[in-house]
Amino acid sequence: MQQIKGWFTAAPLLWLIVLLFALFPIYTTLADLPFWNDVAMRIMLLGMAAMGLNLVLGYGGMVSFGHAAFIGIGAYVTGIANFYGLDNGWIQIALALGICAVTGMIIGFLSLRTSGIYFIMITLAFAQMLYFFFVSLEQFGGDDGMVMNRSDFVFIDLWAPLSLYYMIVAALALTALLLCVLVHSRFGVTLRALKSNQSRVEAMGLNALRFRITAYMISAMICGLAGALFANWQEYVSPDIMHWTRSGELMIVIVLGGLATLAGPLLGAVVFFLLEEFLPEILAHILPAYAENWLLVFGLFLIAVVMFGRGGLIGVSQKLRARFGKGAG
Amino acid sequence: MGKPVLEIGGLHKSFGALRATRDVNLAVKEGEIHALIGPNGAGKTTLIAQIYGNLKPDAGQILLQGVDITAKSVEERVHLGMGRSFQISNVLMDFTVLENAIIAEQARQQAAFRFWKPAFQDSALIRGAGQILARVGLQDRQDRLVSDLAHGERRLLELALALAADPVVVLLDEPMAGAGPEETQNMTQIIKQLKGQTSILLIEHDMDAVFQLADRLTVLVEGTTIANGTPAEISANEAVREAYLGSES
Repeated sequence: MQQIKGWFTAAPLLWLIVLLFALFPIYTTLADLPFWNDVAMRIMLLGMAAMGLNLVLGYGGMVSFGHAAFIGIGAYVTGIANFYGLDNGWIQIALALGICAVTGMIIGFLSLRTSGIYFIMITLAFAQMLYFFFVSLEQFGGDDGMVMNRSDFVFIDLWAPLSLYYMIVAALALTALLLCVLVHSRFGVTLRALKSNQSRVEAMGLNALRFRITAYMISAMICGLAGALFANWQEYVSPDIMHWTRSGELMIVIVLGGLATLAGPLLGAVVFFLLEEFLPEILAHILPAYAENWLLVFGLFLIAVVMFGRGGLIGVSQKLRARFGKGAG
Repeated sequence: MGKPVLEIGGLHKSFGALRATRDVNLAVKEGEIHALIGPNGAGKTTLIAQIYGNLKPDAGQILLQGVDITAKSVEERVHLGMGRSFQISNVLMDFTVLENAIIAEQARQQAAFRFWKPAFQDSALIRGAGQILARVGLQDRQDRLVSDLAHGERRLLELALALAADPVVVLLDEPMAGAGPEETQNMTQIIKQLKGQTSILLIEHDMDAVFQLADRLTVLVEGTTIANGTPAEISANEAVREAYLGSES
C-alpha cells in the first residue's frame, strides 16, 4: 500500500495534469467548445510520446533524434491493419507494441554502440530510413497517406462521444504509472547511474548495453502506443506523423518541461501546444510584425527557460519556490 | 599468504614503436597487499588497463584464480572477482553516498535488472549498502550528495565501491592521489584493515604509504619489471635505487 502511494506522491504535478485532462471535458461540454477536446487529445498523445522519449533522453542520457519513427510505426501498423480488415483495436495495439519493441531493439542494438553526436546521427538516419520507407509504400497512399476508420475496440465504441478521449486519458495514466514505477525501480536507478558515470557502473559488473537497449525498447513502445491512438484520433495516417521535425518537437517539449523529471514532458507538451495555439494570436495584438514568425518568439522563450532554469519549467518553478516561498516549504 | 590469485606472465603491449609493456611478470598472492611502483612513464597505467580489461595485450597471459582472463571483457572480469578503484574518483556524482552504495549493492546481488520495487527504499539493499559504507567509515555521511563531499571522502567512497562486490583481488589505482597528509593517514589505516580480507594490487606514488602497507612490491621501469620482493629487499636493491628511488630522494 505504502509503495503504491509512493508512486503517486513521487510526481504530484504529473498526476495533477492527468487529473485535469480527465476533468477537462466537463469544461468543454459546459462551455460548448468541442474543438478543445481535440486539442487536448493531441497534447496528451504528444505528451505521452515525450514521456516515453524522456526515459531514454532524460533518465538514460541518450539523445535519440529519431523517436518520431516509433509514433509512425504505431500509426501505420494501425492504418495498415485496418486496410486489410483487421480492425480490432486491441490486436492492433498489441501488434504496434510488438513491432515497436522489435524495431526499437534492432535500432537500439546498432546505435547504442555509439554515443554523443554519432548516436544522434544514427538514430536520425534510422528514422529517415523508416520515413522514406513509408513514403515509398504506394498502396498505402505514399506521400499523401491514407484515410482510415477508427478501430473496433469491442467493448468500447470509439464513435461514442468522448470514448476516444477517455481511452487516451487511460493510456496517458498508464504511461505515467509505468514511468513512476520504472524510474524508481532497480532498473531505473541503474539507468540513471549509467548516465551519471558509465565506467563506474561497468566496474560493478553491469552490462550498460543491456539496460540501455531495454530502456530504448520501452520508450519505443510508449511512442508506438501514442502513434496507434494518434491514427485513431486523426482517422488518417501519413508519413507526416513521423517527419524528423516531430522528433525535434518531442525533444523541445522535454527540454521545455524538464529533462529527467516525471512531470516535465507532459507539462512541456501542454505549454508548447498552448503557445503554438495562442502565441500567434497574442503577437498579432502586441507585435503584429512577428505574428507570422511566432516561432522566433517561441525560440527566445525556450532559451530563457533553459538558461534560467536549466531544468526546464520544472527547474524554473523550483527556483522560484526556493527564492520566494521558503516559508511555505 | 597462500597461492597466487592474480598472475601475470610475459605480458607485452606496444603502441607503434613505443613498447609500453615489455615482458611483465607479477603475482599477487592471496590476502597480501602487493604494491606496484615505478617512476612516471614506467607504464603503470597501461599495465593496469590490461589487467582490468580495457586494453588487450599483444602477448602474454593474465590469470585470475587460475582462470585465463586475458581475452575476457571488463564485465566478465568483475564477475570473476576483480574490483578496482580509479585514480580520478569515479563515483556517481548526482547521487547521495547511500544511493551510490545501494547501486553497488544491487549489482553485487546481481539483481539490478528488476522493474518493480523502488530501489532506494528497499530495506535489503539499504542494509547491504550500510555495510559497504561502514567498511570505510562513511556511514554518517550517507545522506550527503556526492558532489558536496570533500575530496578525501570521495576517495573513501571510491574505495568502498571498489570493495562493494567482495572482490577476490582489487586494483587500487593511486588511492592517495590528491589527498592531504591527514587524509592519506586515514586511507592508509583503512587499507591496512583490509589486509587478509581481500588481495590488493596497490599502485601508489606515496612511498611512505607504500612501505607501510605493502607485503611485497614489484618495481616497473620503462615498461618492464626489474625487481620484486619484500619492502626490505626492494629498498636494498641496487638496480631499484638507481632506476627509481635514487632519482627521487
